Amino acid sequence: MRQEVVLAMLAKEPSHGYQLRARLREALGPLGDAMNAGHIYVTLTRLEKAGLVAVEVPADGADRSDRKAYGLTPDGQQRVAEWIAEVSWPKPDLAEFHLKLVAAASAGLADPLTVVDTQRRELLRRLRDAQRAAMAESARSNAALLLEGIVLRLQADLRWLEACEQNWTHRRSGS
Amino acid sequence: MGRILLVVRLALRDLRQRRTEAALLMIAILAATTTLTLGLVLREAASDPYESTRAATNGPDVVAHVARPTDLALLEELATASGVTAHSGPYPVIAGRLQAAGRTSDVQVEGRDATIAAVDQPEVTQGSWVSGGQVVLEAAFADALDVNVGDPVTLGGKSFTVAGVAVTAAMPPHPAASCIVTTGCVNGAIPQGRNLPARLLHNPGLVWLTQAEVRSLALTQGPMSYVTNLKLADPGDTQAFVAANSGALIMQTWQDILAEATDLAKDSQILLLIGAWLLGLLAIASLSVLVGGRMADQTRRVGLLKAVGGTPGLVAAVLLAEYLLVALIAAAAGLVIGALTAPLLTESSAGLVGSAGTPSLTWSTIGLVTAVALGVAVVATAVPAVRGARSSTVSALANAARPPRRTGWLIAVSTRLPVPLLLTLRLTARQPRRVVLGVVSIGVTVSGIYVLLALNTFLGDQPGTGAYSEAQVIVLRHVLGVWMGVLLALAAVNAIVITWATVLDNRHSSALTRALGATPGEMSTALAVAQVLPAFAGAVLGLPGGFALFAAINAITGGDGDRAVLPSLWQLLTLVVGTVFAVAVLTTVPACIGGRRPVTETLQAEPA
Amino acid sequence: MSETADPPVLHARALRKEYGKGEGLVRAVDGVDLDIRAGETVAIMGPSGCGKSTLLHLLGGLDRPSGGEVLLNGRRIDNLSEKALARMRRTDVSYVFQSFHLMEELTAVENVELSALLAGCSPRTARRRAEELLDQLGLAGRSKFLPSALSGGQRQRVAVARALSNEPLVVLADEPTGNLDSAATLDVLQLFDELHEYGQTLVIVTHDARIAATADRMFSMRDGVLIDETRLTGGTNGKLGALVGLED
Ligand SMILES: Nc1ncnc2c1ncn2[C@@H]1O[C@H](COP(=O)(O)OP(=O)(O)OP(=O)(O)O)[C@@H](O)[C@H]1O
Ligand SMILES: [Mg+2]
Repeated sequence: MRQEVVLAMLAKEPSHGYQLRARLREALGPLGDAMNAGHIYVTLTRLEKAGLVAVEVPADGADRSDRKAYGLTPDGQQRVAEWIAEVSWPKPDLAEFHLKLVAAASAGLADPLTVVDTQRRELLRRLRDAQRAAMAESARSNAALLLEGIVLRLQADLRWLEACEQNWTHRRSGS
Repeated sequence: MGRILLVVRLALRDLRQRRTEAALLMIAILAATTTLTLGLVLREAASDPYESTRAATNGPDVVAHVARPTDLALLEELATASGVTAHSGPYPVIAGRLQAAGRTSDVQVEGRDATIAAVDQPEVTQGSWVSGGQVVLEAAFADALDVNVGDPVTLGGKSFTVAGVAVTAAMPPHPAASCIVTTGCVNGAIPQGRNLPARLLHNPGLVWLTQAEVRSLALTQGPMSYVTNLKLADPGDTQAFVAANSGALIMQTWQDILAEATDLAKDSQILLLIGAWLLGLLAIASLSVLVGGRMADQTRRVGLLKAVGGTPGLVAAVLLAEYLLVALIAAAAGLVIGALTAPLLTESSAGLVGSAGTPSLTWSTIGLVTAVALGVAVVATAVPAVRGARSSTVSALANAARPPRRTGWLIAVSTRLPVPLLLTLRLTARQPRRVVLGVVSIGVTVSGIYVLLALNTFLGDQPGTGAYSEAQVIVLRHVLGVWMGVLLALAAVNAIVITWATVLDNRHSSALTRALGATPGEMSTALAVAQVLPAFAGAVLGLPGGFALFAAINAITGGDGDRAVLPSLWQLLTLVVGTVFAVAVLTTVPACIGGRRPVTETLQAEPA
Repeated sequence: MSETADPPVLHARALRKEYGKGEGLVRAVDGVDLDIRAGETVAIMGPSGCGKSTLLHLLGGLDRPSGGEVLLNGRRIDNLSEKALARMRRTDVSYVFQSFHLMEELTAVENVELSALLAGCSPRTARRRAEELLDQLGLAGRSKFLPSALSGGQRQRVAVARALSNEPLVVLADEPTGNLDSAATLDVLQLFDELHEYGQTLVIVTHDARIAATADRMFSMRDGVLIDETRLTGGTNGKLGALVGLED
């Protein structure tokens, strides 16, 4: 997860680490369970060092890390604004799988169709899990929307695998 | 040119794809055109039998005879009287008895020349004209005696062979023959207990021999009389001629003969016409089932054609081409079959109606039959074409092949019944109009049979009461029998056609019902019972229908309906039970095939 | 595992179905072996024309195989008479068809109760059960509607209710979401999931990976042969986060 996500979660108001975590979990639903608490604190520390967040020490002066509230510095605020305006999008790494098939076929390492099948199984399992998770959510929750995205992407990937399979079946019968 | 080809190709492809429907439609139109042809041909044959015979035989305007050879000169004088344009005779006539295959009948024997006479040359309908040792019989008489060409007969103790059978316009057909012998005759039944003078001829037939043979028979058989046939300059005014020339001469005008002859013909003509009407109704019933079904089917097809870019004009042209093809083939076949079967019907009544020759197709008949077939085609095209052109493409496409109807109460009632009856009622509830047509079709048939039964019992009582002779009764019964056969055949075709159409229209729901667990047996039973129930209703309704029809016939003919014995209760019961049984048997085969169609093919081929 | 000890509800061995002869011979199903256990949901996927529908028809006794055998609850059904097959369809197997195949002139509840009536239920019991099912499928208010007045998803639910009305051992569904949009598909998906929870044995033929993913096992079919079996249960085990980039 990118640092900017944590940064942006602080944009509303200065928060404690545990508040930050709760907010993330609410937005992510069951996916938030997998989130590593330590990871968030590591990220916060890094952001502090970069001067993007400042620690607001509570009045009683105690220096317990879990009681620290984090707020954005002006630099931090600018960074968040830039991030919101960004249009970057995660790039699906299809080339890797494609080359895997080519290599497997040319070097005789494996039957590309078997590779496709194995991959499909894996994707179907993921789809099933995402699907089940989605169905367990109430329809309008944040998490349901996120899970819908996963399901749709997996469906697209599965369709591409189908195309791969047809293509390699042709190549095999053609040669 | 390209367009026409396209239309024809599309039409042929559609017909090929729906072979069963096309075949059924063809059969229905064929039945209708055949019936129509039969009706028209017979109507023409029956409408003016005497006139046609008169024309064919160059019939006389006046027939004159003398009872004594001494008066022969009078006849010769008459032949040259003013107003006479042609004559034949005088021919010698004697009374005699004819024996043929165990039957005996009185006859009047007329001596004729082997050459063709200028007036009254009897028209030979079978065999050939007289020659030495050979006799020719008047057609109705030959029928009554059941004598055929080539049979040996005995006449006045001498043996002859039957050379032929002929009709004449100089005398009404047997047994209404006019009397031209010295001894005198009596026609009709003889009331019990009355003895006739021994020499009087009873219901004499007319036969022809050569003049020489008549004269030689006269030596042993008794006195000769003479007869002359005359043609007048003014056939309309025979009365004046008779008034001017009578005396010792006995004269009969063609009007007298016509009155006698048609009196007999009328009854059989009425039978023929009523039969034609009944058949027409049946044909309409089956046509409406099939054409109606196809029209609904076509609405969807119109949508398809429009969807792929056909203009309403093209769509209509394709439909029209299809129907025209089917209708023309059916019309042609109907004309041929009708023309071929008409003689079977008239043969028996030929002598009775005194008609010469077999009835034949006239241009007007051909035109009318073709026009009716084409009319069916046009109507069948116009309705879906207009409906399809008017409706949007989408709704025409969405239109199910034949949108089933919902008859809620029938569906509700059916839930309480055993499975086959449940399915039956639901089939019925889907197509109430078809059920009505089924009822009508059977109702018409049963009405027809009722009338035939009533006429049959009526005829059975006749020989005793005098209106018809035994021979006539046989002939009339034969006519009734043939009509009954045609009526039953058409009703049978109808029953099968309606069942088959039901099977076709319900193939989807049948397949679905079977996929849900109905057995083929239950489905077949349901399909058959769905025909048998309307048949039962039709049979029951047909009884009052028949009564009404019989009353109507009596009213039209002025007959004595009061004396008629209506069919007995057991006859009616047998009729109803027999009808239901016959329909059950007829529908079994299509119903079984329908109930056993492969489920998956139907379900996959036709989305609901 | 206890699973393997159970005898299969549906068992097919060397199942074949051929259409046509000579040149035109089509091997629609060409040697299929299949075991389906009670309570299992099995999906069959494959390209159009690979023989999925044909296989489903063979499994439910709607069509006769050219070779091989089918056992339902341990009883052979491929050699039963048509009548016995029909009886079997009343109680043991039911279908959900791709194009719903509802009777257009019957209301929703009449469509659902039809198979119960065919099975000889009393009209009252059949009606009560049909109403209950429609209720469960969220169609209580629509039971008196004709199919033409229902949406695609609602029609499919009526079809599912009909399939369930006789509490069959196995429900066979052919493209149950074939012509539904994604919202209606989700409805049906939810429905199948509930059936699965309830312990209904289900065989689903589908093009839709989402539907297939609800199954316990999925078969890929090609040219009449099952080429691949995927057990979908016990998959990613909570590593969902990785799917959205929350984990590595
Ligand atoms: N009645 C039949 N006669 C001849 N061939 C048939 C018949 N029914 C099916 N086939 C053929 O059998 C093959 C399998 O058909 P089937 O309907 O089982 O395919 P499917 O996998 O269900 O396809 P889809 O996904 O398009 O529904 C096809 O090639 C089809 O042409
Ligand atoms: Mg299919």
